[in-house]
Amino acid sequence: MEPKNEAVLQRLFKGIPFEKKEVRPFLNLWNEYSFKQNELITEAGRIEKYFYVVLEGVQAIYLLNQKGEKVILGFSYSGSPSGVFDSFIHQKPSDSFLEALRPSKMLAIARSDYLSLFDNNPHFHQWAHHFFRDILFGRLFREVELLTLTAEERYVAFMQRCPEELKVIPQKYLASYLNMKPETFSRLRASILY
Amino acid sequence: MATLILTPEHQIQRLNAVLNKVGELQELSFAQWVQVPHAKSWNLLEVLEHLSIAYGLYEEKILRALHEAPELSGTPWSFNARWWQKFVIEGQRPKGTKRPFKMKTLKRFEPLLNREELNATHGKIVFAEFLVNHQKLKASIIESRGKDMNHRTITSAVGPLVKFYLPEAFEFLICHAERHMVQIEGILATPK
Repeated sequence: MEPKNEAVLQRLFKGIPFEKKEVRPFLNLWNEYSFKQNELITEAGRIEKYFYVVLEGVQAIYLLNQKGEKVILGFSYSGSPSGVFDSFIHQKPSDSFLEALRPSKMLAIARSDYLSLFDNNPHFHQWAHHFFRDILFGRLFREVELLTLTAEERYVAFMQRCPEELKVIPQKYLASYLNMKPETFSRLRASILY
Repeated sequence: MATLILTPEHQIQRLNAVLNKVGELQELSFAQWVQVPHAKSWNLLEVLEHLSIAYGLYEEKILRALHEAPELSGTPWSFNARWWQKFVIEGQRPKGTKRPFKMKTLKRFEPLLNREELNATHGKIVFAEFLVNHQKLKASIIESRGKDMNHRTITSAVGPLVKFYLPEAFEFLICHAERHMVQIEGILATPK
């Protein structure tokens, strides 16, 4: 594995005191995959095979509403975890799609290998506690924003915190994530400084 | 008539549901594969064979249209089905757990399985063929996401009165498969 990819994993799994002999077997559990722009990484109706860490690119996780329209649940991007986690854990068909919005490279670990981390090293339980706590707080924060902020406030809050690589994906995805019409998003983008 | 907006993602999701369902049916016993509520009814294997025949009548046309369709540089297509094609498609689409109306099967769509000679090995072949064919259909839908759907239309298997763009052909085949999944539920629910 390339050193820069090792560094991405080290950042995500910081806090785990690997012994020297444990590092190589841990890195060997990960495989690199490339996805073209618009490629479906995971399809709704299929079981998620991997837990991903993003090396490059932007991905969207979304489901389809009753009309078959995409409803964006979230994005992943360089350095962040990715995948349809409920399907990965429960081994049930996914309700969501995971799509590469930009050409993407991702490190992937299979479920059996992911679970073996917890069996072989108790520090992963501590890591998981922090990891899922942060995800939960992030989702709660987003829910509060969706329920309490105006469209304009949601737009400003999002644009102020989101990474640059996310700002260049098609507007309709960002609009859906912020629960507004693409026309509203477009108008705000043209008129609001953040 | 309300518009019918087709997208490849919606089609992929529904086709996966059909594939998962058939995967579950594969786990049933041979006796369940061949059970029929009455003598004139198809059994489960005959339904799957019929769906493979229906797909087979489109396969070459789909592949040719895909090959000829220009590459698309933007986001994948979203397609507004035309009114006549929408009417034909909606005739196939099941309404919940009901088929809108029963149709007489044309001769060339009839499964020609010999019930007397049918055994578990034949049954496994029917399942395998169905799954291979419908994985190919899914592969075509996935490939179409990178293509412009403004291509030459293809003539449907029911004749030149119905011509489809690829999104319409995909939708027709998926609705047809969904319709027959409802039929299979009925076959299996009927006590012998």
